[in-house]
Amino acid sequence: MANTACFIIVGRNDIPIYEAEVGSAPKREDAAQLHQFILHAALDVVQDLAWTTSAMSAKLPSFLVVLLNPLYLPGSRITSSHFDTKVRALARKYL
Amino acid sequence: MEPDVSIETLSIIRIAVLPIGTIPPPLLRDYHSMLLRHHTIALSAISSFYTEHQKSPFTNQPWDSGSLRFKFVLGGSPPSPWEDFQSNRKILAVIGLCHCPSSPDLVSVTESFNVACRSYSSALVRRCFAFCPGDSQLEDGDKKGENLILFPPSDKQTQEFHLQTMMQDIAASLLMEFEKWVLKAESAGTILKTPLDSQASLNSEEVIKAKKRRLGRAQKTIGDYSLLAGSPVDANAHYSTALELARLTGDYFWYAGALEGSVCALLVDRMGQRDVALEDEVRYRYTNVILHYRKSFIQEIAQRVSPLSFELEATLKLARFLCRRELAKEVVELLTNAADGAKSLIDASDRLIVYVEVARLFGELGYQRKAAFFCRQVAQLYFQQDNRLAAISAMQVLSMTTDAYRIQSRASVSKVSVNNETGSRQPDAGKMHHHSIVSLFESQWSSLQMVVLREILLSAVRAGDPLAAWSAAARLLRWHYPLITPSGQNGLASSLANSADRLPSGTRCADPALPFVRLFSFPLHSSQVDIVKRNPAREDWWTGSAPSGPFIYTPFSKGDTNESSKQELIWVVGEPVQVLVELANPCCFELRVDSIYLSAHSKNFDAFPVSVDIPPNSAKVITLSGIPTAVGPVTIPGCTVHCFGVITEHVFRDVDNLLLGAAQGLVFSDPFRSCGSAKLRHVFVPNISVVPPLPLLVANVVGGDGAIILYEGEIREVCINFANAGTVPIEQAHVSLSGKNQDAVISIADEALQSALPLKPGAQVTLPVTLKAWHVGPVDSDNAVGGGRNAAGNTGRPKDGTSPSLLIHYAGPVSNNGDPQEKETVVPPGRRLVVPLQICVLQGLSFVKARLLSMEIPAHVGDNLRDEDIETESNTDRLVKINPFRGSWGLRFLELELSNPTDVVFEISVFVQLEKSAKEDDSSPVQDSPEYEYPKTRIDRDYSARVLIPLEHFKLPVLDGSFFTKDPPPGTPSSSRHPSFSEKNTKAEINGLIKNLISKIKVRWQSGRNSSGELDIKDAIQTALQTTVMDVLLPDPLTFGFRLVRNGSETKAQSPLSKGSVLSHEVTPMEVLVRNNTSEAIKLNLSVTCRDVAGQNCAEGADATVLWAGALSGISMEVAPLQETRHCFSLYFLVPGEYTMVAAAVIEDANNVLRARARTASPNEPIFCRGPPFHVRVTGGEM
Repeated sequence: MANTACFIIVGRNDIPIYEAEVGSAPKREDAAQLHQFILHAALDVVQDLAWTTSAMSAKLPSFLVVLLNPLYLPGSRITSSHFDTKVRALARKYL
Repeated sequence: MEPDVSIETLSIIRIAVLPIGTIPPPLLRDYHSMLLRHHTIALSAISSFYTEHQKSPFTNQPWDSGSLRFKFVLGGSPPSPWEDFQSNRKILAVIGLCHCPSSPDLVSVTESFNVACRSYSSALVRRCFAFCPGDSQLEDGDKKGENLILFPPSDKQTQEFHLQTMMQDIAASLLMEFEKWVLKAESAGTILKTPLDSQASLNSEEVIKAKKRRLGRAQKTIGDYSLLAGSPVDANAHYSTALELARLTGDYFWYAGALEGSVCALLVDRMGQRDVALEDEVRYRYTNVILHYRKSFIQEIAQRVSPLSFELEATLKLARFLCRRELAKEVVELLTNAADGAKSLIDASDRLIVYVEVARLFGELGYQRKAAFFCRQVAQLYFQQDNRLAAISAMQVLSMTTDAYRIQSRASVSKVSVNNETGSRQPDAGKMHHHSIVSLFESQWSSLQMVVLREILLSAVRAGDPLAAWSAAARLLRWHYPLITPSGQNGLASSLANSADRLPSGTRCADPALPFVRLFSFPLHSSQVDIVKRNPAREDWWTGSAPSGPFIYTPFSKGDTNESSKQELIWVVGEPVQVLVELANPCCFELRVDSIYLSAHSKNFDAFPVSVDIPPNSAKVITLSGIPTAVGPVTIPGCTVHCFGVITEHVFRDVDNLLLGAAQGLVFSDPFRSCGSAKLRHVFVPNISVVPPLPLLVANVVGGDGAIILYEGEIREVCINFANAGTVPIEQAHVSLSGKNQDAVISIADEALQSALPLKPGAQVTLPVTLKAWHVGPVDSDNAVGGGRNAAGNTGRPKDGTSPSLLIHYAGPVSNNGDPQEKETVVPPGRRLVVPLQICVLQGLSFVKARLLSMEIPAHVGDNLRDEDIETESNTDRLVKINPFRGSWGLRFLELELSNPTDVVFEISVFVQLEKSAKEDDSSPVQDSPEYEYPKTRIDRDYSARVLIPLEHFKLPVLDGSFFTKDPPPGTPSSSRHPSFSEKNTKAEINGLIKNLISKIKVRWQSGRNSSGELDIKDAIQTALQTTVMDVLLPDPLTFGFRLVRNGSETKAQSPLSKGSVLSHEVTPMEVLVRNNTSEAIKLNLSVTCRDVAGQNCAEGADATVLWAGALSGISMEVAPLQETRHCFSLYFLVPGEYTMVAAAVIEDANNVLRARARTASPNEPIFCRGPPFHVRVTGGEM
């Protein structure tokens, strides 16, 4: 099994504001798409859960950092390279 | 596997519906849909058709509440290898459908029906329904066997009833057949096999076990038939037995089947009533079912056949049963399992069915994204089939995903909004539509969107649906061009073109492709066709209505979006209007837009199409025009574009949203910005209303519309041609001025315009306007100094805003005759035409300075200071030339220094206007021309010149022509016009006089043939005159003159030496004339002196050379106001030579006026008056 994961932060109205492909497997174009398709499909459940649980919001301090940035326009893409490296480091740690 | 399965499927009788003969497809559909209504036949309804031949095995049949249920399989289906396992899979009846008019021969119909039935060996009942038989067919129809049933032509209701009866008959027949089958199976037994059963396992040693197994299977099948017969209680009983036996024999597969049947029986028994306990029971039993199907998996034959499909089907059935929002988690788990399991299915079509079902169930659950995901999986499976039908299916399935991926075609979106609009006319319909378009831009799953769109494109191409392909390619290109490589973009362009080739010309597509079209501006009315509200109550009906004043945007309205959005724009029927739009082509190919025009949904606008080529990666602003055709509001939501062979509608708002998204970083790129166009600018779309035709005045300056080039001070008449280009006569017109330098317009021949009213359509009128060029101010001087020089080459444009404009407010008839329905109260608006007078003023003659010069010319004493001498000469000469005998004392000239910096030659002429009072004197020829022109002065380029203006004639009394003579004929009454000096002695009066004086001097110039004007030098003259004005204007109180008295008479007897010469050694009688120029009598003390060349008084002293008789000094006299008094004396010159006579007087008892004139400081100071010197030439007499 190729060890890849795709990490996407999705904002309001389903807008992906951050995407990262993490993992060791070599990148494949169609795989990336498939990941996206799966993640997109998974949003249904996430959306359901978001209404029922409060565990989502508090646990993600590093995202809050982004959202606290006064220059960040809600809904726009996160392009910070610092944030990117941080996410990848976390991925290496936990995956 | 089959789609659309549920737990109850086991209780449904499957009937093949076969078209027999030829039936037009719409009719077949109609007949089929008639059948579909009879999918459930109540048992109570079939009792009349039912005859119990034997004792029914279905002992617990609920005749009151039960029913038989049918599934109509149009076109039939091949027999399933699993028919024995689940009896509902068998085709238990065949219904043929025949359309008699297209199949006249009923014999052949029967034959072909029988042939068709042969492939359905399991069918227990066969009927062929023949619709719409003819009379002949009806006659012999009955003979053709009981299976052929004719439906005589009748109304729909009767036919429906007939069909219902037939279906009840079929149901009864089926029930009886089921009974027969069950009875047979119970008595004789039956062998039931599934593909899972291997030969080896049948030949097993355990005969008893095999028998039991067979028994169990038979019981299960009898249960199935009981279910189909609508008797769940019987079914349950048989299933219980079967379960027991299957458990004992380890026949897991049949165990699971029986368990499934028992659940179905349970549900049928409950007849749709659900509660938690039932749900738990179903869930429990189905979990068992799934478990046992899994148990029945046989590794050895797994490559060939596997119960996996049943496991998945059971899973899906349970999922469908549980499919509720509250149980979403459970259902998702089941569906995920099913989808996972589908991967190991052998049959691709089974996998496809699983995905279809999974997608449907997710959709039912409200999980649209998951549904979309599986839809796409389905589509990919269809793709693998590589045929056209599969491609069509793939395309259709994919098009279902477009909502979830937010790439929906506008066709589907607009259908919804159209429905809304027609249905409820709610204003939100547009908003909803708007919203969904917004979300289209907001979503950034672009890679998914691109993949799906590409797949739709591919499937549409394969399916041979060019419109769908075009639409998909258009969406792909329009929304994702930034992510598509140039070659990809070219590929899409060619697939658009290829698709269009297969489409009939004029095909419309809901999805726009390129270019991006945004509104650039709605040009408000040009000043040429401005529409002004009309206030019928006022004479000046245009006042108080916008637009007034030079500001289009006032600081008050700016920034107030509400105000701006309410902007009203009025268009006039029949007058072309223009709208600017900007087109962007952000792709790498040259885009040819075959035609683009404004699309107005209101039907009162004719748009003119234009075609345009847009180079790669560029934007273009183009003007689109059209003509409003009828009164009413106009909305222009977008453009209609014919590009890539298809007609599409491009809505401005969509692009606005896109640009807004781009500005907020939500969308990849702004197509206009990437094309190098300016940043997002918001254009307010005004409310446009069309009004009935108005008059339309057009103006053109006669002799060309270029700038009118004038030198400073130049006066020229310009003719402006006005024509009514509208279809309504102009009944009112008013000309006014606006802008800077309004005083440059000296006169407007308004009466020419007024007399031409009403100006009929097509009529013309010429309005002469006299212009006088203003001075080029210091601000403009840099322009003018150089400009004067290069004026010829660079006569171009006058500086903006310096020229005045003519404002013509005009209007048609007040009541609208053309439209009787129009309310009287609505007055059609008027219009305003602005005719800018493009005046370009070049620096002309420049004024350098003005000076006052004074000059003294001594007079000669003679006896002929007579009019005739003077009168021989012209009036003009009188002004310029100095009479040598009269001389001039204190003659003053105004010297103007002018320079000519231009490159043309100017000629200056000075005009002096004289008082008209000269008319009173009949002898004066002055009356005809009160103006006198001095000879012209020519000033070459780059030279300066001086112009002298004598001011002598402006002395107040002098202004009277009679003053020239100095010696009015006795008895002539003094002119009453001579002003009272005291009255004039006020400052205001004097200023008035100065002005008056100045206005009489006009310095005119001429250059070339048609440039002429006047120098504005009033200020300069005033400055020059300011200090000495008293001297210039006011005469001395007393003037003196000398005259020879010949022979004691004043007759005209003249000696040869008359010309002022005096002989020595001769008594020369002379007289001194003292004139009182004031209005009061003056007492004075006169003295006369005579001086020789050396200036010595030669009449007194010891060595006097002049002897005299009479009084020369201390002569007291009183001069009446404005009268002359003479004093006679005689001189005797001893020595010939030049002498000078000077008269002087001391005024006694001077009044204030005199003192003021003499500028005396104290009242005691004597006022001394001295006359100018008079020369006397004394020649040697005949000694």
